[in-house]
This record gives sequence, structure tokens and C-alpha cells, in this order.
Amino acid sequence: MKNTLRVQRAILNITQAELAEKVSVSRQTINAIESNKYVPSTVLALKIAAVCHKKVEEIFILEEGD
Amino acid sequence: METKMLLPNRYKTIGWCLALPSFIIIMLYLYFDFAFPFLDYSSGKTDNLFRGETLFNLNNTNFTDEIFGILLITGLLMVAFSREKMEDERTMQLRLESLLWAVLINSILVMLAIILIYGSVFLQVMVYNMCTTLIIFIARFNYVMYREKKRLNKEREL
Repeated sequence: MKNTLRVQRAILNITQAELAEKVSVSRQTINAIESNKYVPSTVLALKIAAVCHKKVEEIFILEEGD
Repeated sequence: METKMLLPNRYKTIGWCLALPSFIIIMLYLYFDFAFPFLDYSSGKTDNLFRGETLFNLNNTNFTDEIFGILLITGLLMVAFSREKMEDERTMQLRLESLLWAVLINSILVMLAIILIYGSVFLQVMVYNMCTTLIIFIARFNYVMYREKKRLNKEREL
């Protein structure tokens, strides 16, 4: 799965730490998601989408092989 | 997401305070025959050479190893299974991965010990084995968390 989180964050103009605080996870977790090291739970994905005012599918995209 | 089955973060400190002194005392007990005299117990009877001691039927013993063995394991459990300061779903994933890793490594080490070590030394290996899974887990989990933090700091500098 790939994601456009870094782009979404740039649109909102917020840092990893600020996003982390909004969805109550650690900065490491946001960083790990952005570098494709961690796939968030459905709850976290929905929370992130809500903060970005986007649909989940616009931020998290399935890849071939998933 | 709330993770159940974990103790609050402050138990980590309490755990270290229990585990470290207990570990030292257990080591002294194993290698220097150290024991607290006030933990001596005697039923007044003499040991029966032929029957040996059975459960709940001891004649003479010292409870140093029992008490500090339990305190050591309790302390290690507290260190291993208390929440991080910043606990989230990824922490839980890293924790479970580390646990899997620790069980695997510990089992491999035990298998190696079975092949390579014989006699009374093997018995010692089994004694250590009572808490090595927890120790390997704590080491691995803390290393993984440290690596995460370092990676984040490095990325910040760039």
C-alpha cells in the first residue's frame, strides 16, 4: 500500500508532529507511515483522512500485490 | 486505540527497582552461596537422605532464592509489559514483533544448549532460561524503540 500523506500534509502545511498530535499517535508513527514502513489501522486511517478533509482512498492507495 | 493488558508507564520504573537488586542477589546466591540468614527455615526434623524433600514437605531450606527469584520475574514482567510514555498502535505492533522475535531466539538458544551442553551445566542453563525470554524481549523492544527515535532525529537533520 502506498500513501500520499506527505503531500496531504504539505497541502495543510502542518508538520509530522502536529499531525501526530491531532490523531493522538507518536511522531514516529506518522513518520513510519509516510516512509511506507507501517500500515495504519482502519481507525487511524479514518482519523488521518478526517484531519485532511479527504476520503481515505485519496490518501491510502492499494498497490498491486496487496 | 486503548491497549489492554498493559500496566501504566510508572510501573516500568518500579519494575527496574525490583528487577536489578533481585538480579544481583540471585547472582550472588548462585555463585557465592550468598543467603539472608533470616530467611532460613527449619522444621526441626533432620533431612531424610532416602526420601528427599517433596512439595510442602521441606525440612531445611533458605528462602532467599525463592523470594528473589519471584521478585526478579515480577520486576521483569513489569518492565516488559508497561505502557510507553507515548503509547500508540505502532508501539503495540513493535512490542508484539519483539515478543515473537524473543521467543524464537530463546528457543533457538535452548535447542543449541540441548545439543552442546551436558550435565549439571545444562541445569544452570535451564535456571537462566526462566527469565531469558523476558530479558531478550526487553532488550529487543528497547533497541527497536531506540532505532525508531534515532531514525526520526536523523531525518530531521536532513
